[in-house]
Amino acid sequence: MTNCENLRESIGRWLDGELSPSESAAVEAHVAACAECGEARRQLESLQRALTGVLVTDAAPIEFIPFWREVQRRINSKRAWYEDISEWAREFFTAPRVAWGVPVAIVLVLAVVSLDSYFPWMRFGGGRNNFASVESIDGHGRSVALLRENDSKTTVIWLYQNEEGENETGEDGSKSGPTF
Amino acid sequence: MKLAKMAPSLALLFSLSLIALQESAGAAEKNPQSVLVTIRSILAENKNDEFDAKLKGMEQQLKSLKYRSYRSLKDDSKSVPWQGTQTFDIPGGRTLTVVPQEFQDNRIALKVRLTQGDKPIVDTTVKIPNKGNFILGGPPHEGGTLVLSISAATQ
Repeated sequence: MTNCENLRESIGRWLDGELSPSESAAVEAHVAACAECGEARRQLESLQRALTGVLVTDAAPIEFIPFWREVQRRINSKRAWYEDISEWAREFFTAPRVAWGVPVAIVLVLAVVSLDSYFPWMRFGGGRNNFASVESIDGHGRSVALLRENDSKTTVIWLYQNEEGENETGEDGSKSGPTF
Repeated sequence: MKLAKMAPSLALLFSLSLIALQESAGAAEKNPQSVLVTIRSILAENKNDEFDAKLKGMEQQLKSLKYRSYRSLKDDSKSVPWQGTQTFDIPGGRTLTVVPQEFQDNRIALKVRLTQGDKPIVDTTVKIPNKGNFILGGPPHEGGTLVLSISAATQ
């Protein structure tokens, strides 16, 4: 890179007053002596003037006082509840959280569904009927009682002695039935 | 950093694998090969207040029968294929014949026949919750009453 190329990069900063006094003096001296760099300076100055003119022309009609008043009103105004929720949801449900949430939800659902299989004694399916259901009974002439004990969810089929008796010990048949 | 970015995808993959595993386990459970039938023979009496420690797990069920004492006489477990017939020797020269019929809604349908010699005592068909039981009682035995706990679990 030549000295001119190095210095041309500094001309803009020199014109903006961003260089130290010693750097400014060096650039100024070079620009005064070098025709090409002098031309570059003139072009930059011309561009700067043009831009400043445009900004001043466009900014002039803007009424800043009503603008800032509206900004302040919006800052101070109370937002609706759904706007608060919406903003909270936008901040909370970030993409990584949603990505983690889906598998976690799946695992939780599987765990709940599987509880009955792994811990049948805990009887998670509270309303489920745990009684054995009797489809048919034939006592072959004997009296048969079908009982359901609610506390232990037990179904009992009880055979009573017939009158002919099949009592092995000759006990009174009436003693063979439990008093439920 | 790369692993952290991949973590949600890995977690999702893991969850999907779990679902697949759960489904295959469920399918195996829905189509069990056989039934483990367990017959527990118990003597219920009113002579004393003894409760056999072996029957601890059935205490609540047996206490509802209101006898004073319960003694375990015999435990017998056999694996029985669906529609297969299995016989169990019961104290007092009795025989219990069991035929597992079907498995539906986590319930096992069992056809049960109790006989004494050639003489049938009772025939019944009962649907038991898988790993559940029912009680068949009443026949006299050794001065007391015979109580049978019939349980079934899919295999």
